[in-house]
Amino acid sequence: MTGARRETRRGRSAGMLIGRLWSAALFLVLAFLVAYPVAMLLLGALTNTNPVVDGFGVFNLSLDNFVTVLANPNVHLALINSLIACAGGTALAVVIGLTFSWVVVRTNTPGKRFIAAASMLPLFVPPLVAAVAWSILASPRTGLLNVLLGAMGIEWRFNVYSMGGLICIFGIYYAPYVYMFTASALRNMDPSLEEAAEVTGATVLRTMFTVTFPLIAPAIISGMLLSFIVMLGIYGIPAVLGTPGDIPVLTTYIFKLTNWSPPLYSTAASVAIILMVVTGFLVWLQYKVTSRRSYTTVAGKAFRPALLNLGVWRYVTLGLAVVYLFVVVVLPTLALIIAAFRKFLSIRTVASLIDDRQYSLIHFERLFANPLVGRSIVNTMEVGLVTALVGGVLAFSIGYTINRTSLPGRRSIDILSTLPVAIPGLVVGVAYLWAWIGLPGGLYGTIWILALAFIARFMPDTVKALSTSLMQIHRELEEASWICGKGVLGTIRSIVLPLARPGVIAAMTLLFVLAIRELGSSLFLYTSNTMVMAVLLLDYYEGGNVGITAAFSLLQMLLLAVVIGIANLLSRGARGTETSMGRAG
Amino acid sequence: MPVMVSKRRFGAIMAGAVLAVAAGPAAAQNFGPPELIEAAKKEGKVIYYTADFAEVEQEIIKEFNKRFPFVKVEMVRAPGGQLITRIKTEAAAGKLAADVICHSDRGLILAMQDLLADYAPPNAADYREDVQVSPKIWPRQTLGWSIAYNTDLVKNPPKSWMDLTKPEYNNKQIGQVVGPSGGTTWTRTMFERQVLGDDYWKKQAAVGVALYPSGAPLSDSLVRGEVSIAPLLYNVIFTKKKDGAPVEIFFPPEGVPMNMYGAGITKTAANPNAAKLFLNWALSPEAQAFMIKELGYLTALKTPPAYPPGFDPAKVKVWVPNFEQYEKLREGWLEEWNKTYNYRQ
Repeated sequence: MTGARRETRRGRSAGMLIGRLWSAALFLVLAFLVAYPVAMLLLGALTNTNPVVDGFGVFNLSLDNFVTVLANPNVHLALINSLIACAGGTALAVVIGLTFSWVVVRTNTPGKRFIAAASMLPLFVPPLVAAVAWSILASPRTGLLNVLLGAMGIEWRFNVYSMGGLICIFGIYYAPYVYMFTASALRNMDPSLEEAAEVTGATVLRTMFTVTFPLIAPAIISGMLLSFIVMLGIYGIPAVLGTPGDIPVLTTYIFKLTNWSPPLYSTAASVAIILMVVTGFLVWLQYKVTSRRSYTTVAGKAFRPALLNLGVWRYVTLGLAVVYLFVVVVLPTLALIIAAFRKFLSIRTVASLIDDRQYSLIHFERLFANPLVGRSIVNTMEVGLVTALVGGVLAFSIGYTINRTSLPGRRSIDILSTLPVAIPGLVVGVAYLWAWIGLPGGLYGTIWILALAFIARFMPDTVKALSTSLMQIHRELEEASWICGKGVLGTIRSIVLPLARPGVIAAMTLLFVLAIRELGSSLFLYTSNTMVMAVLLLDYYEGGNVGITAAFSLLQMLLLAVVIGIANLLSRGARGTETSMGRAG
Repeated sequence: MPVMVSKRRFGAIMAGAVLAVAAGPAAAQNFGPPELIEAAKKEGKVIYYTADFAEVEQEIIKEFNKRFPFVKVEMVRAPGGQLITRIKTEAAAGKLAADVICHSDRGLILAMQDLLADYAPPNAADYREDVQVSPKIWPRQTLGWSIAYNTDLVKNPPKSWMDLTKPEYNNKQIGQVVGPSGGTTWTRTMFERQVLGDDYWKKQAAVGVALYPSGAPLSDSLVRGEVSIAPLLYNVIFTKKKDGAPVEIFFPPEGVPMNMYGAGITKTAANPNAAKLFLNWALSPEAQAFMIKELGYLTALKTPPAYPPGFDPAKVKVWVPNFEQYEKLREGWLEEWNKTYNYRQ
């Protein structure tokens, strides 16, 4: 054996060792962030105990909670309602998200930057805020839209307190998830296949359904799955719109259980496990569908997608975007502005709506007089930044390990990092509390415990968002870099990161927005010094003051818009090319 | 004939008046010995866990800080069930941050009294004995049920609890907070059955009422006109009326069910003196009067320092549940309530 060969072999085994250590390190991080809290949750569901209070030695495992829950007809009803609302909402979200991503990326519709931004805007609106705004607009008895209909002599009324209302609100507010995945996939897709279809005489629609959409199927399925799962775990919308219409869903049912006197966490954990089973099945389904074929569409070949000339129809597509923006952002924001500036939301006639004596700044004055408001804003921004930065790095490490390496243990890492998607925030909050409060050191009571919870909770969203971009980068690019003598880290830095950059920035921005909106897991982890905006907003809502809730919601939306705008500018300045939210996400 | 007052005498009267204003309330009210106030000043803050609404608590804290600006109150507010879980878990991990705990369900706080230190306010003897569940737990807030209606919508308002079973208020004109919502609603449902009759629930359910998970969203719905009439805790709707909302509130003649919050100081309090001062003040006639007049609470003081508008002590009968029955009957009765109102738990 020559010395050079021996060297190579030694180098290879050193590389293998580093690889294994890397896998082990990731595995440990995930065990702490995910497996340990989930184990706590399972323990809670199986034992009727609070593991911290009763000690870890109490292991009277029993399936009683499951049996009770499964036999309860109210749980069946909540489950069926959840499935109907989320399936309907997802269908609508796919139609909207896919339409706009196609319009933005593939057509010559004017004002595409505007449409791209409009398609992402609903993501900034916290679910509770969206629901409150729509209850102001379209509640059957006093909704502003219904007052207007009445003034016009029209008998028909909007009723957002219905299953149809829930589906519409879910659909329009979760379309960005589908848009996010499909827009970046479409942008990164080699259009030569589409061109070939067109050359052979296929119509635009036929090309779209037989070439374009099948090619970006993993992105569509990922977006669909994620929006379905996110809807399944949302509390704010069904709480505000479903409760008056007597439409219980699993999350409102779980909230009720955690809020009982005394709280029934073990039962809540059992109901949560039903949710986990449903979402686990969906994750498995997605894996089955996407693993059957290769979706590599970004290769070493340079391409510039040709835009489809829509002719006069391009104004129709622009019109659609304007209508969407109006329904999703303008109308609800108007409703919030009216609620925030009006002394009382008792509006019976159009004359009363425009009566300026009814308006004042009282809700804003009260809001700014509360010292907690300022503190919660600072805390929220800190938590959002930490979550986005640390979570972004971790998600990239996991995404790269899963998708681009053949390291041992990467399947387990994949499964572990996907697990949190299945657990509703309301229940996982208490699991984090149980898991982490007893740790030595001062984690509890700091913003770090909140950030860790958010990183863990949104790991699947971030990893999935990144994986889609990573899956599309052909291995030949990395191989070329290795041949040129670059190491793994060097290749990541000079090839993978720049190519996946839109995905990375989108994922971090998504993480920031999700962290700022997150309520469920914050409820148990915040302390007097680490109050966050989402918790304070719920306090105001629960306090029954729509005016001050609306004022605070407007403030929160404004802050989000400013922060995202700054992030957008910074990322553009750094790269010198277009990496806006609209493009990336 | 007008009385003439010399300049000098006028000056003396004014000086006396200023002194009286400055020293008066402090002298009349006993918030604790000077050493306590001094020690509280040194601690500088108190950590307060409460199940009451944050906005209302902020008002009370602001008033407390007018009297004692040197004690900063750091508040954690959570709904009842979640607050209990947090307290128990923090305590078990040896990390209970709270100096003072205040909860709407005295039964639940009683179950945790081992976490509480011995404490009694200087005016302990002035409180009603029948509302006290433990010598460590004090009725910091007292709430009373009332009936409110939207004046834009109701032309023939109800005048009693029994009126809420009349068919003329059918078709979800009445909003009702569900019985199992918490300690306060359990008190109301108990009152309805024990005082208004075994069949009251059945009669009212037959009218068709809109059910709400808690009182605050219901009060908002009443102001907006989503419902026309609602039994509500007086303090939940009082501030809205004070701000000019189109509502009227009255205390029904059959009785006003009262519910007390239970407050206590933790054994592990890092700021025990500030905690004591905070509760001493909150239980004093000064604070109770503020809460009655400005925020619409009632009080468990034997001699109330004030009454809310419309509360005629000669006419209104307050009703306090028997605590033993409050604990014993709860589960079975609420199950019946759920069935009667077709409420899915």
